[in-house]
Amino acid sequence: MARFARTPIAPLEYSRTLWMRLWVGAVMLFLYAPLIVLVIFSFNDSKRNVVWRGFTTKYYEKALGNDQLVEALLNSLSIAALATIASLALGTVAAVMLWRFRFPLKGAIDGTISLPIIVPEICLGVAFLMFFAAVGWPTDLIWPFNLGAITIAHITFCFPFVTMVVRSRLATFNREQEEAAKDLGASEWQVFRDVLIPHIKPALVAGALLSFTLSLDDFVITYFTSGPDTITFPVKVYSMVRFSVTPEVNAASTLLIALTVALTFVALKAQGVKAIAETH
Amino acid sequence: MAEQDWKTNKGVFAAVSLPTLVWIFLFFLVPMAIVWLYSFGQNKGLTDIEISGTLENYKRATEWLYLTIFGKSFAVAALVTLICLIIGFPVAMAITFASEKWRPWLLLGIMLPFWTNLLIRTYALMMLLGTQGFANKGLGALWEGTSWLKTLVGLQPLPTWEPVQLLFNNFAVVFGLVYVHLPFMVLPLYAALDRLDRSLIEASLDLGAGHFRTIMRIVVPLAAPGIVAGVMITLIPALGAYLTPDLMGGTDSQMIANVIERQFKKANDWPFGAALSFLLIYAMFALIAIQSMRKKVAEAS
Amino acid sequence: MDPIELIKQTRGRRSLLQAVGVAAIGISFGGLAACSKGEGKKLANGEEAKLNFYNWDTYIGENTLDNFKEATGVDVTMDLFDSNDVLFAKFKAGNPGYDVIVPSNDFVERMSKADMLMPLDHAQIPNKKNIDPAYINVEYDLQRKFSMPYTWLALGIGYRKSKVSATPDSWKVLFDSPEYAGRIAWLSEAGDMFRLYGKYLGKSVNALTPADIATIEKMMIKQKPNVKKFHEDDGQDLLLKGDCDVVLEYNGDIAQAMVEDKDIDFVIPKEGSQLNSDNLCIPKGAPHPKNAHAFVNYILDAQVDKEITETILYPTPNAAAKALMPDSYKNNPVIFPPAEALAKCEYARFNPELQPLYEEAFTRVRAA
Repeated sequence: MARFARTPIAPLEYSRTLWMRLWVGAVMLFLYAPLIVLVIFSFNDSKRNVVWRGFTTKYYEKALGNDQLVEALLNSLSIAALATIASLALGTVAAVMLWRFRFPLKGAIDGTISLPIIVPEICLGVAFLMFFAAVGWPTDLIWPFNLGAITIAHITFCFPFVTMVVRSRLATFNREQEEAAKDLGASEWQVFRDVLIPHIKPALVAGALLSFTLSLDDFVITYFTSGPDTITFPVKVYSMVRFSVTPEVNAASTLLIALTVALTFVALKAQGVKAIAETH
Repeated sequence: MAEQDWKTNKGVFAAVSLPTLVWIFLFFLVPMAIVWLYSFGQNKGLTDIEISGTLENYKRATEWLYLTIFGKSFAVAALVTLICLIIGFPVAMAITFASEKWRPWLLLGIMLPFWTNLLIRTYALMMLLGTQGFANKGLGALWEGTSWLKTLVGLQPLPTWEPVQLLFNNFAVVFGLVYVHLPFMVLPLYAALDRLDRSLIEASLDLGAGHFRTIMRIVVPLAAPGIVAGVMITLIPALGAYLTPDLMGGTDSQMIANVIERQFKKANDWPFGAALSFLLIYAMFALIAIQSMRKKVAEAS
Repeated sequence: MDPIELIKQTRGRRSLLQAVGVAAIGISFGGLAACSKGEGKKLANGEEAKLNFYNWDTYIGENTLDNFKEATGVDVTMDLFDSNDVLFAKFKAGNPGYDVIVPSNDFVERMSKADMLMPLDHAQIPNKKNIDPAYINVEYDLQRKFSMPYTWLALGIGYRKSKVSATPDSWKVLFDSPEYAGRIAWLSEAGDMFRLYGKYLGKSVNALTPADIATIEKMMIKQKPNVKKFHEDDGQDLLLKGDCDVVLEYNGDIAQAMVEDKDIDFVIPKEGSQLNSDNLCIPKGAPHPKNAHAFVNYILDAQVDKEITETILYPTPNAAAKALMPDSYKNNPVIFPPAEALAKCEYARFNPELQPLYEEAFTRVRAA
């Protein structure tokens, strides 16, 4: 970056102006300060996450050797990945429906789609508990089908977020582009894939990130939809509260953060190489 | 071009509406209908709820006690949303105008803290804010330093440092909620701001408007749909927050979600919990439906 | 992270429709049963070698489950719950497949009244003889028809020795005095709070009336400005961090904190207090009731319970296991409070009429 630093800042390069950098820096400090504490305390030589008692790495060994913790993490990540993918698909078509069409009862349907966001978690949890019990959803399925009920519940409360974000993005879409594509002989599907999807791409990224985050962090609804042997990471963590949360959880979280950063780095590098290859 | 009538293109309409409607019906309306019926019921014994059509639960839910809690929760959620908007808008702009190389990292930078469990993050935040926490220690050191400097130039030293109460009060609840909900604001804003017609901004700047005026007069109106989406997905979940007020709040920091949670858990009074939940739901549903209707009317005229 | 990848995977309304269709069929015909786990190998008692154990996290010995598998061949899956309330709420929809659960005393009573528990076959639990007789005939479960005691606890005041003027041996310091204003933490559990106030007023924890609740509510509102926090059973952490100096907590939790901080101590107030006990129960509809009995019996074994107690450091009702523990545990006055203090303590009974009143009054206290 230093090479470019001396070029004058263009009017639209907001990200290079000083006040903007200070602002983003301050926000990042705000967001990461607790994370730093969390990482520090993963090395704490105490059974609980409270007061610093000295340095140790034993909780990393313990976390990696704790099958239940690893299983819980894997379950959480699987559910989050599945729920994100399904929510993206469902949320996007719902947004297209609301944006493109005029149909009877539209106000009511619009309101209903946004409802899962407002329903208190515990209320939705109880609703699913009673629902799955009433339909006799089997609880003794093999992995990953045993996560089915949880995943269905997660999709229900994730996809309205995707719909909202995608819809706000669609509002800025110039429908003449769509018309032009159709005039040139593109089919509905081609228009959707080649015109609409590229336009809403940032909203899809945002929606995917939101869904993934929401799903990964959910405790209440997961608790009420889980059967035997479907433990997730939040359920594990919340069950520790009575006896204090152990640094083992911090160690596992730290590993997860490191893994995410590494994977992103690799993905971006690979994509960068691909992009360069394509342009030349 | 206005919205298309669904009859003119039934095939596409069916393709986009069926999955949504089927899912919403099967996995949302049907389960919620069970709880909705509970709100007209009464406890019978320990486990059974008799759906008697009573309005008693709603009557209790609209008592002054609960209305004030509703009001307070709404005020807190609105304040949190406003702060998130003020903090988040510049961040979303920074992401939008960042180079291709930096954008994914900034996005990831915003999201990464939120892939750590909420409870653990909240504990870490509490560790920062506690009486013996790092924030207080930092402020204390600053205070001592100032005091020492003052004695150095021959002035009276400052009185001894008293730790600030940063935790277990309403300030902590707002602080914690802003922390938790910031990405919910930043992401929709980013989605709306990206691919904004930049020539408009350039034109405004060329015509002599300052950056601040340009942002307020050009960028904000253009990003309005994103702002609305951001406000919705920050305000509504903030209204439903229960963990942060429980852990970081003081003795008077309960929010409506805490009360609802207690009805379903400790009080074992599902009908009343259902009535409280549905009051919240009715209000939001009306808000969204009215907004949608108004848009329809505006477009028709 | 790559959005393109995500979109590629989700492309196609058709596959989505198929997924929805499959899900719908699954519901209407229970078609997913095809994916259920096959029957595992059978044990001599005719049950498959499995057990689903529903417990609090970190509330078992480090190797207990592995050792049980070695001894009997039964594979134990331990799932976790975070409070009695959610355990009860979940079982309202029926037993989702658990064999052994660990509710507290008032919930043993509540769940047995709600017909959620299976009567225990004492013939299959010979290790019952290890239990201290004082814990056998308890009011909440006469003759232990439904439950076996796992641990017991007493509520009291945990405090930081260097920050109090004298031993806070009366509920007054927490409930009715500004002396430690801003350094007090209460439990957030409405029922416990009202019952302990009752104790302070010289009443039995099970003899409160709605009029008492109104009186106590006023006292609470008066004391509230002096209280810093209503904690979710993590008072020991508040004490360790120095956020509060006098907290309402269980002796077992404070005993754990005292291992790390010598400046902390615990006392049962002279007015008496409330006892609590966690119990092993077998819920109705348990898929493996024989394994469940074997497991309960295994846990009551002296050596096994000793290992569990070494990990969780709570008071054990298992006399045989206690005898195997070191003196530092047996003679610890926090884990085993003096008999005269315990004599004034009672178990709280489940009272369906008062519970909603406690909750509503406490909501008013919080809102005041």
